[in-house]
Amino acid sequence: MVESQLESLAQSARERIGAAATAEELEAVRVEVLGRKGALAEISKGLGRLSPEDRARIGKLLNLAKNELEALLERRKQEFEEAALRAKLEAEWVDLTLPAPGPRPGVLHPLTQIQEELEDLFTSMGVVVLDGPEVETEYNNFDALNIPPDHPARDMQDTFWLTDGNCLRTHTSCVQVRGMAKLGPPLRMIAPGRVFRNEEVDPSHEHTFYQLEGMMVDRNVSIAHMLYFMKTLLRHIFGREVTVRLRPGYFPFVEPGFELDVQCLICDGQGCPVCKHSGWVELLPCGLVHPNVLRMGGIDPEEWSGFAFGLGLTRLVMMRYGIDDIRYLQSGDLRFLRQF
Amino acid sequence: MRFSYNWLKEMALGLATEPRDLMNLITLKTAECEGLHKVGQHFSQVVAAKVLQVEPLGSGRNRKTLIDAGPLGQHTVVCGAPNCRPGVITVWVPPGTRLEDQVIGVASIDGVSSAGMLASGRELGINRDHEGILEIEAEPGALIPGCQPDFVIEVDNKSLTHRPDLWGHHGMAREVAAILGLVLRDPVHLTQLPQGASPFRVSVEDSALCPRYSALVVENVQVRPSPLWLQYRLQAIGLNPINNVVDVTNYVMAELGQPMHAFDAEQLAGDTIFVRPARDGEPFDALNDESYRLTPAALVIADKQGAIALAGVIGGKHSAISQTTTKLVLESANFQAANIRRTSVRLKLRTDASQRFEKSQDPANTVRALARAVELLEIVSPGCRVCGGVADAAAERPLPPPIELPVDWLIRKLGREIAPEQARQILEALQFGVDQPSPRVLTVRVPSWRATKDISIKDDLVEEIGRMIGYDTITPTAPVVPTTPPYQDPRRSFLRRLRHLVAAQGFDEVYNYSFVSEELARRFELDPEKHVRVANPISVEQGLMRQSLIPGIWRNVVENSKHWDQFRLFEIGFAIHPRAGSLPEEIPHLTAAIYSRTGDTELLFEMKRLAECVLEGCELRPCPAHGYEHPARTAEVLWREQVVGRLFEFHPRWVETGRAVALDLNLATVESLGKREKRYQPVRRFPSSAFDLSVVVPRRTLVGDLEKVIRQLAGADLDRVTFLRQYEGPPLEEGLKSVSFRITVAAPDHTLSNDEVSAIRERMIRGMRAQGYELRV
Repeated sequence: MVESQLESLAQSARERIGAAATAEELEAVRVEVLGRKGALAEISKGLGRLSPEDRARIGKLLNLAKNELEALLERRKQEFEEAALRAKLEAEWVDLTLPAPGPRPGVLHPLTQIQEELEDLFTSMGVVVLDGPEVETEYNNFDALNIPPDHPARDMQDTFWLTDGNCLRTHTSCVQVRGMAKLGPPLRMIAPGRVFRNEEVDPSHEHTFYQLEGMMVDRNVSIAHMLYFMKTLLRHIFGREVTVRLRPGYFPFVEPGFELDVQCLICDGQGCPVCKHSGWVELLPCGLVHPNVLRMGGIDPEEWSGFAFGLGLTRLVMMRYGIDDIRYLQSGDLRFLRQF
Repeated sequence: MRFSYNWLKEMALGLATEPRDLMNLITLKTAECEGLHKVGQHFSQVVAAKVLQVEPLGSGRNRKTLIDAGPLGQHTVVCGAPNCRPGVITVWVPPGTRLEDQVIGVASIDGVSSAGMLASGRELGINRDHEGILEIEAEPGALIPGCQPDFVIEVDNKSLTHRPDLWGHHGMAREVAAILGLVLRDPVHLTQLPQGASPFRVSVEDSALCPRYSALVVENVQVRPSPLWLQYRLQAIGLNPINNVVDVTNYVMAELGQPMHAFDAEQLAGDTIFVRPARDGEPFDALNDESYRLTPAALVIADKQGAIALAGVIGGKHSAISQTTTKLVLESANFQAANIRRTSVRLKLRTDASQRFEKSQDPANTVRALARAVELLEIVSPGCRVCGGVADAAAERPLPPPIELPVDWLIRKLGREIAPEQARQILEALQFGVDQPSPRVLTVRVPSWRATKDISIKDDLVEEIGRMIGYDTITPTAPVVPTTPPYQDPRRSFLRRLRHLVAAQGFDEVYNYSFVSEELARRFELDPEKHVRVANPISVEQGLMRQSLIPGIWRNVVENSKHWDQFRLFEIGFAIHPRAGSLPEEIPHLTAAIYSRTGDTELLFEMKRLAECVLEGCELRPCPAHGYEHPARTAEVLWREQVVGRLFEFHPRWVETGRAVALDLNLATVESLGKREKRYQPVRRFPSSAFDLSVVVPRRTLVGDLEKVIRQLAGADLDRVTFLRQYEGPPLEEGLKSVSFRITVAAPDHTLSNDEVSAIRERMIRGMRAQGYELRV
C-alpha cells in the first residue's frame, strides 16, 4: 500500500523533474517532494505506524527514493546552470577580428638595428665599443691620422669646416686617436657613428652617413690576423662563408693599406650588374696601423702593431635591404621606417 | 689616369698579357683600375685614300666623291666636308668597319650609293678636329701610319695619391714589368742632352718651394700639327692635341710623369727666368683665358717684367707657343707639393700639372724629361737646334738613408713565411737597391721616384713585398688575445636601453640631420649667432649645427601627418652647443612626439606616461610656453629635483591638421642624476587601512601640489596616496572643484587600530584646514 504510494510518488516526481523547464519549476518540485513538508516527509512521518519489519523495509525504500530523486534533481539543476552559463557566455560573443586598439612597439631605425647587431658581435669577441664626438678637431680628423695639411689625401674627403676652425668628422677613424689615448695597448675597439662629407645629396650620395671603425693593437699583429678578423666579421654579417680578397688601397693612416673586396654574393663571382661584372664588391678599407698614427696615439710602434678597418654601416644597410635611395634613411618618413 | 696598353708595351718589353688580365693584375698589385676601353679598333681597317673626283650632289653640302684606295680599288663615297677636293689624301672607312660604336655600311645618300665614309680626325679618335676630313700623307690603300688598335686602362686617381711615379706610363710600365717579370726599357737617353752653358739663367729665390728648375733653349722650331701617331696617343688618353711643341711637352708628361712647359723665347723679356713668390696683387693672364690677381702665397715663374707662368699650375698667355714661334724655352721643374696644392685649391684651378706636382714629384726627373723632349722635338720638328746646355738650378738633396729591413720582422707583419732571397728579388724588380749585410737582414735603397714621400720606413716595404708576393698567399690566422670582458661605456648602455624602452612604448625611431637653417633656428626662438656654424655649407638650409632636436621632430610630425592619422616617433641624437676654447658640447637628447588627427588631452597623458617610463617618479610643473608651444599645455619635466626637459603640445598654428605633443629630455642631465642604489626594505607584514579625503579647491589648483601637502601631513605611517577623481559642478560653486584621494596607512610593527587611523585622519583634516583648504568630510 505504502510501497505503491511511494512508487507512484517517485514516478511522478521523476516525470516532473524531467519535464521541468526552468530552475524555478525544478525548485518547486524539490520543495514539494523533498522539502521539510514535502511528500516524502509526509510518508516518513507515517512510518511510525508501521510494523517494525515494514518500517525497516519502507524506510529503506524511502531512502533509496530520496537519494535517487536528490541526485536527479542535482543533475537537472546542473544542467540548468550549465545552460544558463552557456547562454550568458554566448551573449558575450565578441568579434575577435576587430582591430586591437593601442600602440604597437615602435621600430628602431635600420641603422640602429645593424649597429647594435655589430656591437653585440664585437662585444662578444672582447672588443670595446667607443664613441667620439661628431665635431672634431682638424688634428684628430687629419693630422693625427697621418694626413698633414696640404696632403692630397685631404681631397679624398670633402670636409665641412666650422667657423671655429674645427670640422665635422669625415670618418670614424678619428676615434682611433681617442681610443689609443683612452685604452692604451693592447686594445681592441670599434667606434660606430655619424660622419659627414660635403657632398651634394642624390640617391647614392649623402652628406651624412654612418661608419664603424675598428682597431686592434697588440704585439705582432699581422695581415694574417687582420684577414681572420675580417672574415669572421663578414661571415656574421652575411650569415654565410664569404670569399674575400685584399688589394692595395691608399689611406695615409695605414701601411700597408688595403681595399677588401668580397666575392659578389648575388652572382657568386660570376659577374652581374651589382658587382659591375667584376665578380667582386668593394666592401671595406683596412690596413696595418701606420707607425706614425701609433706614435701620435702615444704607442711605441717598435713594441706594438695593429690593424684598423672602416665599415660603411649605411652601405651595409642598403645592401642588406636592397635600398636604392640613400636619402630615405634620414627622411624621417614612417612609410619607409616602419618596414624594418 | 688613363694608360695606353700600346704605350706600356713599348717599355714593358714583351708584354703579351691580355689587357683585361693586365687590368686585374694592376688592380690586385698596384692600384685600382676602374675600366678598360677599346680605342682605335678601326685602325686595322681604315686606309689612306686619294680623292679623284668631286661632283656636286643635290642642294646640300654633300658631294659625290670618287676615291682611290690603292689595292682596295676605287669607290664612290658621299662626303660633305668642305676640304674634300681632288688630289687630297684622306682616310677612308670601308663598309663593315666599326667606328664610334656603329658599323659603317653602304648607304644610299641623295640617291647615290656611298661605300663607307671619309673621316675627320675626331671621328677617327686622332684629335678633336671635325671641321673637315683628315688630310694625311700616305700611299692610297695603306693603313694609317703609327696608329694601331689600342686599349686604355683607366686607373682611379685616388689610388695613385701616394704614387707620383704612376702619373706617367713609364712608372706603370715599371710595375707591369715587375709583376710579369719583364724587362723595363727606359725611353730616356740622357746622353742626348748637349753640354755647355745655357743662354738663359735661372734664379730660384726659395729652393724649398722649387727644389729644381731645369730649362733648355731650342731654336729653329717649326710649329705645326703633330704626326698622327702622336696626336692619336694623346687623344687616346684624354689629352687634347694642340701643336707639335705643346704635344711633345704633354707626351713627356704622360710618359714620365714630369709636367713641362714651353715658352716662346722671343716673348720673354731678358735672359733670366725668376722663380719667386708672386707680388701682392700681381696680375697674371693664364693660358685658359682667365686673369688672376696673385698673392705672395703663389709661386710664379717670371721674366724681368712679370709673371710668365703660375708655377706648377698653368702657363701664361703672353709667352704661349703660337704658329709663329721659332725659339723655345723648355721648362722642366720641380715644385713643393704643398705649395702647388694650396695655390691650385685657392684658385680652384686643377690642371694636369698641378695634379702631378701635389703628389711630390721626383726632382731627378726634370733633366730626364728635357732629354726625352729634345729627342721628340727632333722628330716632330726636324731641323730644330738646341742652344747650349741645360740651365739647371738644383738644390742639394741628400740621399735618403737606406732602410733596414729585418726579414723576421717582415714575416711577423705579413703573417707568412718569406725567404730573404725572394724579398730581395721583389724589391729589385721594383728597382730598389738591396744589400744583404746579414742573411736575414736587407738594407734597401729607395729609388728617387719613390723617395719623395711614398717610401721612407720599413713598413712601406711591407706593402711592396706583400702586394707583389700576393695577399692571397696569406692564410687568415686567429690572433692570440686576452679573454677579459670588454669595458662598457655606461652612456652607450644607457642610450641603448632607452631606445628600446621608448620603441616598446610604440614610438618609431627616426634619424634627422645635424644641420639646421638660420630661419628654422629663429622660428624655434634660438639665436643663430649662438650656434656652431658651418663655414662651407652645401646650402643655407644647412648652415648651423642643431642646438635642439625639436625642429627636426616638428618637421617629421608635419611631413608624416600627410600620410598618417596618428603616429608616435622619437629621435635620440646630439644637440651641439658652442663652448669657448674647446670642441662644442654634444648633449644627447631624447625627443619624442605623438600626433593624432582627432586626439586631445589623452595625448599629453600618453606622453607623460612615456616620461614616467623613462624617469620613474618624474613630475611635471606647468611653465611659461615658447611661441611654438600651447600656452596652457606646457610643462617642465622634473626628476630628482632638477629640470631635465619639457613636455608640451605644439601650438595649433604649428600643427594644423591635428594635435601633436612632444617630450624633449636632456639625457646628459638625466644620466648625471644617475641610478640610485637599491636597498632592501622588509616586506610589510601588518595589514594597512585606508580612508578617503576630498578637498574643495579653485579649479586650477594643481593636483600634484595637493598630493604633496597630503603626503607631508600624513606622517610616518603613510603607505601611499592614490588620486581617485576630481569633480566640478553642482552642488559646488562655479570655479571650484573637489579632488578626492585615498590615503593608505600602515605601521611596520603592528596593525593600526581604528582609533589610530582616525587620529591620523583628524590630524590631516586639521592640518589642511589650517592651510586654508576646504574639506568635504
